[in-house]
Amino acid sequence: MSSEPKPLKSWIRLLEAGKKMTSHKQDEESILYPLRRTFRPVAPDITKGSLKRDFEQGLVYYVGDEIEDDRAACGLDRLPPTGRIYPDAVVKKRVILEEAGVFKKTAYNKKKGTFDY
Amino acid sequence: MSVAKPNLNSKVESNNASNGASESLNLSSNNVKPTKYGYFLGCVMPAKMPWAEKATMIISKHLGLDFGYMKEALCCARPGVWKAISPDWWLSLTAQNLANAEKQGITIVDTCNGCWISHYEAIKELTEEPEKMKMVNDQLAKVDLHLKGDVKVKHYLELLHDDVGMEKIVSRVVRPLTGIRVMRHIGCHARKHDETLPNDFDEILRATGVEIIDTPYDKTCCGLLLYFADPNQAILERIGKKMKTAQALDVDAYVIICSGCYDQFERGVKIYRDEKGISFETPIIHFSELLALAFGYEPEDFGMTRCRPIAVDRFIEKVKAITAENAKKAAGAKEKGDGLP
Repeated sequence: MSSEPKPLKSWIRLLEAGKKMTSHKQDEESILYPLRRTFRPVAPDITKGSLKRDFEQGLVYYVGDEIEDDRAACGLDRLPPTGRIYPDAVVKKRVILEEAGVFKKTAYNKKKGTFDY
Repeated sequence: MSVAKPNLNSKVESNNASNGASESLNLSSNNVKPTKYGYFLGCVMPAKMPWAEKATMIISKHLGLDFGYMKEALCCARPGVWKAISPDWWLSLTAQNLANAEKQGITIVDTCNGCWISHYEAIKELTEEPEKMKMVNDQLAKVDLHLKGDVKVKHYLELLHDDVGMEKIVSRVVRPLTGIRVMRHIGCHARKHDETLPNDFDEILRATGVEIIDTPYDKTCCGLLLYFADPNQAILERIGKKMKTAQALDVDAYVIICSGCYDQFERGVKIYRDEKGISFETPIIHFSELLALAFGYEPEDFGMTRCRPIAVDRFIEKVKAITAENAKKAAGAKEKGDGLP
């Protein structure tokens, strides 16, 4: 019997979410073309959820309705002065991501918001 | 709670780097323009810790700083993630924030250690290595930005300890939190270069009157990045041990400053509650909240009870009790003093 603790459910959920936003056929193709070098994306599945949010909003966490209410109750503006209210900053970030080759090497599909390889 | 309440009439301007504080802090001599500080929020602070964000804004204003938000802030970019994937990508993404800050004419202020180390190390690397500066500027040029490398970066602890000064901080404490026992977690990145920031952290905490309880887990990492690779180690061996120690020692609060660490503490506490059936009772309090209370602000001034993974009611009750006791002692002393010939 293994003494390893059971994996945490929340971590499994994060991993599954990362897998869900990934589409690739490498496993099937490797049977047909065993000598073909496989593409290894630089981002592991567990990080893909946060990377996707970062690519789409410029930030790792989203400020939604519930937190907007909490912010207001704390005496703050409902939305922070981040990329959340400056969409141009996010657009610029995406240009930089493209220029730096991040999208290509992470196999991120900007249109679909998935990691395709 | 009965203490000399600070003036809250002049509301902190949320989206303006110049907040028009009634008392301005003379941070520079010889007619040099005072520093304009831009608070870099990062990802976690605005989304999970509005009470800490508000407390940071009010205490900065209270101390007379020209302190507002940095606008257009994006992810810092997380050095633990991006540097591991590609140091050049990390530089490119961090450079956008640095160039924006330079354009806004502000000194970047970070409360999150991850944001701070990202800004601090990126500007150092870029100014020391011209070819990297050229690389990022070629990319920034595509979005009409340019980085000269003049922007200054400060950790909030550095700002308070060195720019404001301990004398001023101590002089503003009107509600000493004597009797409050805390464990504290400064976080790894704050101790990466030397022990200055951890020492500043302790010194400012002690100025509020709290008693710091040292434990063997004070220097252990929160496990934020480790969580990706080894969730059990990150949660059970890091957060679990810290929170169980806090519970066993019956401290009143676990004080943190880094938003990244808070993110992991919150995650750990929720995992214990939802998956292990263990509810911790020691509230996780931000450093700025303690200062705000010590400066005489009330918990409702910064929404202290909102969206907390562990309720702060018991902590607030204790602060109230201490305040009442201190007021009683002060009244007694005054009465005695009045009776003197």
